[in-house]
Amino acid sequence: MASSVLTSEYAGATRKRGPRALQGLPFVLPYLPLLIVFGIAPTIYALDLAFTDVGGGWVGFHNFVRTYDDFRFIPAFKHVLAYTSVWLGALMVFVVGLALLLHGRANRVSATFRFLFYMPGALAGSAAVLVWLFMLDPSVSPGSFLLHHVLGADIFAQSIAPGNLPFIFAMIAFWTGAGGWIVVMYGALNTIPHDLEEAARIDGAGPIAIALRLKLPLIRKWIAYMVILSFATGTQLFVEPQIVQTASFGLVPDTWSANQLAYQLAFRYADFNGAAAIAVDLLVIGLAAAVLIVTRGGLFRAED
Amino acid sequence: MKMHRRAFTLVTLVAVAAAALISASTSGASRHVGASGSITVWVDAVRLPVAKLYAKTHPNVHVNIVTFDGDGNGATTMQTKIQLWNRTGHGWPDVIFSEQANDPVWMAQKPFDFALNLNGVFPKNLLKGWPSPSLAQCTVNGQLVCLQDNLAQEVLYVNKKLMTQFGYTVPKTWQQWAAIGQKVAADHPGYIIGNIGDSYGAWLYLWADKCPISQVVAPNTVRINSTDSHCTRMANLLDPLIKSGVVPPESVFTADFATKWGGDNDKILMMPGPVWYAKDIFSGTLHVPAGELTAATPLRWNDEPLVTGQVGGGPWIVSKHSKNVAAAIDFVKYATTSLAVKSKVDALSPGYPSYGPDASVWLTSLDKDPYFAAPEGPAFKAAANLIWKGWSMVTYPDQPVWSNTVVTQLVAGKTLSSLLSAFGDGLAQNAQAAGYKVVRK
Repeated sequence: MASSVLTSEYAGATRKRGPRALQGLPFVLPYLPLLIVFGIAPTIYALDLAFTDVGGGWVGFHNFVRTYDDFRFIPAFKHVLAYTSVWLGALMVFVVGLALLLHGRANRVSATFRFLFYMPGALAGSAAVLVWLFMLDPSVSPGSFLLHHVLGADIFAQSIAPGNLPFIFAMIAFWTGAGGWIVVMYGALNTIPHDLEEAARIDGAGPIAIALRLKLPLIRKWIAYMVILSFATGTQLFVEPQIVQTASFGLVPDTWSANQLAYQLAFRYADFNGAAAIAVDLLVIGLAAAVLIVTRGGLFRAED
Repeated sequence: MKMHRRAFTLVTLVAVAAAALISASTSGASRHVGASGSITVWVDAVRLPVAKLYAKTHPNVHVNIVTFDGDGNGATTMQTKIQLWNRTGHGWPDVIFSEQANDPVWMAQKPFDFALNLNGVFPKNLLKGWPSPSLAQCTVNGQLVCLQDNLAQEVLYVNKKLMTQFGYTVPKTWQQWAAIGQKVAADHPGYIIGNIGDSYGAWLYLWADKCPISQVVAPNTVRINSTDSHCTRMANLLDPLIKSGVVPPESVFTADFATKWGGDNDKILMMPGPVWYAKDIFSGTLHVPAGELTAATPLRWNDEPLVTGQVGGGPWIVSKHSKNVAAAIDFVKYATTSLAVKSKVDALSPGYPSYGPDASVWLTSLDKDPYFAAPEGPAFKAAANLIWKGWSMVTYPDQPVWSNTVVTQLVAGKTLSSLLSAFGDGLAQNAQAAGYKVVRK
């Protein structure tokens, strides 16, 4: 492989520095204990809970079957599927589109807009939802004209009608999350060597052709990275439906999303095994999507 | 030698003085039976003034006040919290106020096992002041696990000024009420005679007509028959009213409601509602002008015996794990029976006190209040004994099922009759998930 050849060359050239791989270690080490304590250990615990019962005895797939039969399971996963599709679609199209647009602009204008896009992301998730609760209530929203004509809503209960919810939550999540990803994509676009752009321009390519046929394929891997992380975040939706549920006096069910159902099972019914089964379901879905994108998108393939 | 004697005298004097002080304070304490120490109370926003007043008037007790959503509209906040405290083994508050009359039922049973049996701990002579249905509602497995703060019987609120202006007489039956509704839709569009969008809509209309959708018929068995004739006939009565807009599927707690029908618009002609609407909702939330509203006895179905519904009437619960039961009981006693809290219709006591002697004082204050066009006391008092006993408290909340299966679809234009079956199914599923056996007939 090309990279290992380079490594051995460097190693030969500067004996004192040591293998390049080890230089990253001091940056990774502080994160490792946190990863283990808050990431890996709870995952293993959840796997253990998902296959055992309250007393700790092995029950195989019983918890999975039992939670699947719960009357709220299928609706929750349907909602999450609808929401994730809308959200990922919006992310891929608008984030990449906006990043490409910004990249073609003059630096100061671009910097201002990057800042403006990033700002909503600085709000904590729940604060963002509170802002949206006002935006979605036609009697107090500055955008009531849009609510009336786009959603057909004259009262708050109509804005949050069951059919609108995946779009509403996707809008809220997009508003807070997109800015960060636009900045990342912009950074990715900056890695493209200027010579390639110059060459393309000399060959007669217009700005749209440069964006779509030169830049876009070169940031494929960052888009894949964004899709993997966003898919995981999307399927684990919790904050938005939970807050809208309270604010709407129960018009939105408290088990709208799969994560909410896991929360209710754990903390209302004390059924930690069932909750763990749902958590493992979400983990498997996220991993499957990640594996699919990595293998199809060639995320870890070295440059060819 | 001298030093020793002086030291000895000094020590003795101090010892005697200390003994005197200690005995004085303990005997003082037994004289006052005063509460002391510290307690933690969890209250909702409406009960916060009461908690603050207690803290102010009882400087010996350090009161940690925590406000929460009160489990309003069927939220399950307390279930999740108590689970967590049980699991970690500490953190239980001493006193909780809940807006949900259902809460003590599961709080008294495993796995929550939170509520203290008040029999034997709460002064017996005071307990006699509570109406027996109220005490019955708080009795689970023979133990008195809560005390209702206020009664919440449903009456019919009437805007006397508008009724006189339009020339209508106050209805006595649901049929007369619906007939006025038809006339209002034709002659005075924009005015309303009720609403059905609150999370407790089922309690206002279905409980009041003896619809058996929350009826415990045997231990751990609940009857949920939403297609019973009592339910379908009420739905048939309401459907044309909902369609014509005189009974809108909106909640009184939304800004939109106050804008459309309250305040200067003043378009609430009549409204079935609980006694705690009296001033808190009509004046405080909806800003209906003074001198217009009064209350009438609840509506009956044709000439059947009169029963009515109930909307809440929140309980106070004391924790089994409390380390300061004396102060906790003292707090609950103050909140439910003290005239400093319960004598007037105001922020401290927006609802009808359950404690009988205080209720009389409160009703007198209500009848003298210039906000109302005519005294509401007689209707309130009459309705107190009319609550239909066929609706039981259960361990799962029915409000969220009403909100997200019925109200969302009413808003979308469907009829209540078409939704009763789905409503019953939703209730049955929740009941089964909570461990009940369900009888659908």
